[in-house]
Amino acid sequence: MSDHHNTDDSGPAARVKALEALLTEKGLIDPGAIDAIVDTYETRVGPRNGARVVAKAWTDPAYRKRLIADATSAVAELGFAGPEGGHLVAVENTERVHNLVVCTLCSCYPWPVLGLPPVWYKSFAYRSRAVSDPRGVLEDFGLELPREVEVRVWDSSAEIRYLVIPQRPKGTARMSEDELAAIVTRDSMVGVAKVEAPRA
Amino acid sequence: MSTAALNQLIEAARLDPDHVFSAPWEARAFAIALQLSERGHFTWDEFRDRLIAEVGASDRIRARDGTSAPGEYYDHFLHALERLLQEKSIALF
Repeated sequence: MSDHHNTDDSGPAARVKALEALLTEKGLIDPGAIDAIVDTYETRVGPRNGARVVAKAWTDPAYRKRLIADATSAVAELGFAGPEGGHLVAVENTERVHNLVVCTLCSCYPWPVLGLPPVWYKSFAYRSRAVSDPRGVLEDFGLELPREVEVRVWDSSAEIRYLVIPQRPKGTARMSEDELAAIVTRDSMVGVAKVEAPRA
Repeated sequence: MSTAALNQLIEAARLDPDHVFSAPWEARAFAIALQLSERGHFTWDEFRDRLIAEVGASDRIRARDGTSAPGEYYDHFLHALERLLQEKSIALF
């Protein structure tokens, strides 16, 4: 351990601060715009967007077809586009097939519909096991699937990013699109959870 | 392998589902990288290549040593950004 009071000089917070100051001085970045980006990704872009996409797919068969045919265009219809939003593919869970998404190399993830990925998605523990032991990973998330259900693992990359369309839970026939959107979780759209019907 | 490490992260996400950044500097680093790419100083693909290299190097060490230290993604992210800025002679470290 060091005696210095200021031991963070080479720590990441200090490095980022120095970098921001340098780039600002060079006129390469605008600190105000940095604040706006942080705010956007902390509060505005997130899995609520994807939940709206899923709810619409559940309630509008024509939209569901468009989503499966060309997810990038279908989510843009709802106003969701932006960085990491291209090359989006929607994969649908059914009684027979369960889809699970990972990015084994780093952290590829469809930002416009899901926001930035959670910590576990970027972890070595998840990335290293999702392909080799998907059922084990799902059990870690508390999801045990019947043996006859096929688990398909999709490895996201710069070329393709995936959005899982979870199964619409039973007992939700009378719910509106907005009510359905409220029960769709981020985890269900990555494939590590199912969507649960609200308790009556 | 790694089940305990993953369970810890899953539990953390349950307690705080909207958690994206663990510290303010992570958010700043992310936003700096995104703005530089949006302004054309590099492409996000170029950045991602460096990030994959950083993450991959760490993965190989973990696979070899069996060590597990979750939560250092943005350390890799920052190294990747610094490396790219150096390669592009935008900033020297």
